[in-house]
Amino acid sequence: MKVSFKLNGKNVVIDVNPNEVLLDTLRLKLGVKSVKRGCERGECGVCTVLMNGKPVYSCMVLTPQADGAEIETVEYLQGKEEVKALIDSFVKHGAIQCGYCTPGFIVTAYALIKAKQNGLTKEDVIKGLEGNLCRCTGYKKILEAVINALNQLET
Amino acid sequence: MSVEDPYALLDKWLNAQELLVVGKDVTRVDAFQKAVGKAYFTEDYLLKEALFVKQVLSPYPHARILSYDVRKALDIPGVKAVITAKDIPGVNQVGYALPDQPLLAEGKVRYVGEVVALVVAEDYDTAFKGVESVEVKYEELPYLLDPLEAMNRNDILIHEEIGSNIAFKTKVVKGDVNEGFAKSDVIVENEYRTHHQDHIYLEPEAALAIPDMEGRITIICSTQYPHLTRDIASKVLGLPSSYVKIITPYVGGGFGGKDDEGPLVAAKAALAAYLTGRPSFLMYSREESIAIHPKREATVIKYKSGASKDGRLQAIDVKIIHDTGAYANRGPFILWRATVHASGPYEVPNARVEGFAVYTNKVYQGSFRGFGNPGIQFAAESQMDLLAEKLGLDPIDFRLKNILKEGSTTITSQKLDHSVGVGEALRKVAEASDWWRKRREYSLDTGRFRRGIGVGVAWHGISTSRGVPDWSNAYVKIEKDGSVTAYTGIVEMGQGAPTSAHVQIISELLGIPPTKVKVIFGTTDAPDTGATHASRGSSIGGIGVLIAAAKLRERLAKLASEILNVTPEEIMFKDGRVYSKKDPNLYIEWKDLIKEAISKGVELSATGYFFLPKGKFDDVRGQGFAYPAFSYMVVISEVEVDVETGVVKVLKVWPALAAGRILNPQQVEGQLEGAAVQGLGYALMENLVFDGKGRVVNPDLTDYVIPTIRDVPEIQKPIYVEDLFKYGPFGAKGVGELALIPMPASVANAVSHALKTRVTSLPLTPERVLELIRSSR
Repeated sequence: MKVSFKLNGKNVVIDVNPNEVLLDTLRLKLGVKSVKRGCERGECGVCTVLMNGKPVYSCMVLTPQADGAEIETVEYLQGKEEVKALIDSFVKHGAIQCGYCTPGFIVTAYALIKAKQNGLTKEDVIKGLEGNLCRCTGYKKILEAVINALNQLET
Repeated sequence: MSVEDPYALLDKWLNAQELLVVGKDVTRVDAFQKAVGKAYFTEDYLLKEALFVKQVLSPYPHARILSYDVRKALDIPGVKAVITAKDIPGVNQVGYALPDQPLLAEGKVRYVGEVVALVVAEDYDTAFKGVESVEVKYEELPYLLDPLEAMNRNDILIHEEIGSNIAFKTKVVKGDVNEGFAKSDVIVENEYRTHHQDHIYLEPEAALAIPDMEGRITIICSTQYPHLTRDIASKVLGLPSSYVKIITPYVGGGFGGKDDEGPLVAAKAALAAYLTGRPSFLMYSREESIAIHPKREATVIKYKSGASKDGRLQAIDVKIIHDTGAYANRGPFILWRATVHASGPYEVPNARVEGFAVYTNKVYQGSFRGFGNPGIQFAAESQMDLLAEKLGLDPIDFRLKNILKEGSTTITSQKLDHSVGVGEALRKVAEASDWWRKRREYSLDTGRFRRGIGVGVAWHGISTSRGVPDWSNAYVKIEKDGSVTAYTGIVEMGQGAPTSAHVQIISELLGIPPTKVKVIFGTTDAPDTGATHASRGSSIGGIGVLIAAAKLRERLAKLASEILNVTPEEIMFKDGRVYSKKDPNLYIEWKDLIKEAISKGVELSATGYFFLPKGKFDDVRGQGFAYPAFSYMVVISEVEVDVETGVVKVLKVWPALAAGRILNPQQVEGQLEGAAVQGLGYALMENLVFDGKGRVVNPDLTDYVIPTIRDVPEIQKPIYVEDLFKYGPFGAKGVGELALIPMPASVANAVSHALKTRVTSLPLTPERVLELIRSSR
């Protein structure tokens, strides 16, 4: 079936099977590499993308559900001020090890910042990021990186 | 002695006074690319024309394979091949330590999840259909799941050819334990149990095999040892090793798991590619990953230890049983490591340690960060707390009386001649955590929330155990424009060895910025560098990089000294310039020096081979030289236990590390934090559950729970004791595994302190904690 959505600012029309998930459409058909395959059942968060501004696990979205939606990934979002600050902060704080979970964390953190621009507490950040798993860093530097980016953006 | 003698070069840089790049928080070169999705992992290389491989798995823990019927599967349009053991052109034998394991089941299956056949098809869905259509007839056999039962039964044999279910035995005998216990005023005896752990690297296993026109095969795969992967794949295919090339791109976490499974995934994809003549791609689902790949071993440890009134350890008598599952895999090496580390980092005059790796009909054990050591350190450190209590001593004071120092002998009677910083690490971290006050104060807690503070001290031998050969190598070349390319077999799986440590080493030695250095990692085009495991990527892997770069520096220093008319000893390399230390106005630009080298015939490429010197080890008595050095780790944990719900919260963690030179403090911190949280997960929540037929019932991340950002304690800045190791690059030992090893002990000792009752088995789930509270009343 034909599905059309906006991917990273550009209109996409694509023929998919009704049972195809957005993760596969993005990775295998549209060449979006930042969206990773980790569990394929909505448990790990490495495939997180923004759908109409909200973070979703793309492995849990059927591509037909994305019809008419706006999908954004880190390839596109890296141009935004908040995402730049997040990436800089992740790099500087040593919050990136294997990097498989990193784009998912950045996208989720960006959505968090957008949804609640002012006065994000540490608890808000923890709550916002608890759906993204990381097995390398122990999360400490990720949390520090996000909080540091928030402080940078506020000043 | 030549100026290119590797010992002399290592020694020169071990004692270097002033370092420019090494020891600093240099940003790793791969971070930005990873953040924006430009760092490619195996699946990112998937080709449009590739075939997809799916696996037919055994539904039985133990069964004879009577027949296969693949006709229905082959009739499905799009199914290109169904591959079983008989289709393997080379050798169907991939056992790592013992020749007991086929790549595809042959004759029998020995665990639920064992791979029986491969279906190769045009797309995923067709491959799935193919898998469902393969008919395998089995005759179910009686099976064994409990290692204690399996080791005492010969009527059911998991590997008939061995004649017993004991796959391997180890032993250490030092002094006379009977005499040691006779001298002891206090004796403690307990049985400890630890459980399986899954690695949960976020990138599941994957390999893409691409045949070329000349009969060779290139495999892009997520693995930890490209050269071993090549050797296994070529053996299965029946090709010369030189016909198989491995490219390991960025790896989405390994932790040991891809050391074992990586080569097998590659061999299966290669088999499909070889037999169909088309590129073939195999990627595990999370469920398959958990069902199929090797786990951290489950253990039963019987531990008796004694000490005299003066607080000195006198004897240990230890029996270690590892549940090795269906295959031995690396079990013998894991068991050896547990056996020789059984004392913990203490002087023990009399020791008897016996190890048994026992087959059961469960998914088999394998490499996992710590490699047999977390379980035994948990037992050893629990015993230390119990002995201290009986002696009326503080646990840390008691440890300090027995701690290894320079000149101590281990339980294998190896004399430690240098690099033993554990005592200092323990003292410093005890002070930093305010240990003695908290230990007294928390003992008085009586309410619903009870605080506890516990310590875990661990040691971990650097390099392979005993006399098992180990070496480093790298190939480094300076390009015409002065940039540098290095080739290493070490992979990048998050730890940053090739993307930070190796870059820093080259940058330091040649005086050029990290941006001018490109390390090509994870490839069989590099000389065999050994595996990226055993905390060796930056340290032992870095030796080859250091030696190769140091050779180039010596040659260029000589050339520069001739040009500048000064001595080679006063030549410095810094900021892209080569100059005299005595007179910095005497200089030549790096780029110009390279031009000179090319015109004067100075070779600008070098390899850095180094074979680690080792002593003799007697496998029968388990006595002798076990490791060239040890890294040491102390973790103090502070916990709060809710005695109504059984929930344990780890509030604070104080790490201290004695691992020689810290090449990059920020990256080392990252390793310690990641390992501590992985260890905390193991101690508190991670639990692989098997049903009565040996099937893993929780092969997903909802039911196999790993820590999230919410579970992270306050991890304090690590304390580093830089006890330089004479063969390490700049004196570095290894770090990657270290913080995980004492973590279960540290948490268990803290919980035991909070509850005033001894924890002897893990994980400390709320159910188990409540049980513990009930049984202690």
